[in-house]
Amino acid sequence: MALIRLVVIGFVILSVIYFALSIYSRSVRRERLEKDWAEENPGSTDMDARDAAVEAGMADYEKGLRPKLLILVYLIPTILVIAALVVTNTN
Amino acid sequence: MRYVRTIFRTIVIVVIFGLFHYVLPQHDVARITGTEVIRMDFSSFNRFFFAQSDSGTQELATRDIRLINTKIKKTWFLGFFQRDTERVMVFRNEDTGWIWPPYFKFDSSDLQAEAEAEMSPPGQEKWVVLTHYGWRNRFFTIYPNAVGIRPIDSPDVTIVPWFNIFFFAFLVAAWFTIRAMWRQFRERTIDPALADAGEAWDAVEGQADAVTTRATGLWGRFRAWLNTWRSKK
Repeated sequence: MALIRLVVIGFVILSVIYFALSIYSRSVRRERLEKDWAEENPGSTDMDARDAAVEAGMADYEKGLRPKLLILVYLIPTILVIAALVVTNTN
Repeated sequence: MRYVRTIFRTIVIVVIFGLFHYVLPQHDVARITGTEVIRMDFSSFNRFFFAQSDSGTQELATRDIRLINTKIKKTWFLGFFQRDTERVMVFRNEDTGWIWPPYFKFDSSDLQAEAEAEMSPPGQEKWVVLTHYGWRNRFFTIYPNAVGIRPIDSPDVTIVPWFNIFFFAFLVAAWFTIRAMWRQFRERTIDPALADAGEAWDAVEGQADAVTTRATGLWGRFRAWLNTWRSKK
């Protein structure tokens, strides 16, 4: 029972961290795309072109490696728990 | 107000320090002088400072507690500086299981056997590094929980607290990450929303001014009143 509780509570906490980090990572990328566009098109007010460029960049981002790396939020604590189990219980 | 804030901050710092001091692993240079099992009838207060019965067994109100009697080297400043003098220390030896604190210790019986194997009489001392968490308090009858025993050749060893180093490094990294996330959230979500609200408010004020300037004279005021019945665009 205690193991189930650990898994459930751990999963909830890690999910909160996972979603917070993925939102943050996306937000940082979006900001950089907007700034890049502003640098390449100085003084332009064509918001549709800007939105299209940003959305294309975000689509590339979703296909890239970085969002997949966020799975580590679940993997690393699991590995650490297994490591702690082994280190504590072997003699 | 300043006093209240200072007191509040002090309490928070003391509680966080106490929590870390209780839960994080600490190392003692010790020689084991004996082991024993005593029955513990918990009070509602000291129950809080014990874990639970061995992971495969059932939890009852009263149970036996394994103890490890030792002599440990005294230290200065949270164990960073060794001293030559010794003092007695009694550790409990309990499974933490899957529950708090997260040591995932299931091997208290094996640890007890290890402790007995390292037991030594005066004159032919065997030394060990004993890892524990928790506090000893004589008034509340609470003991630190031993989590590991490592035999060493001589009591003059340098112990590097690797776990605590990585733990606090992680804590600092997590703090900066959370701060960066909060700033990003404020810059991209809260500030634009506040700016929108400010613009909306300016627009309302502007309209109100326009209505007041239009509503001059008897006829103007009547028109203005009629206008209030019109659908707003």
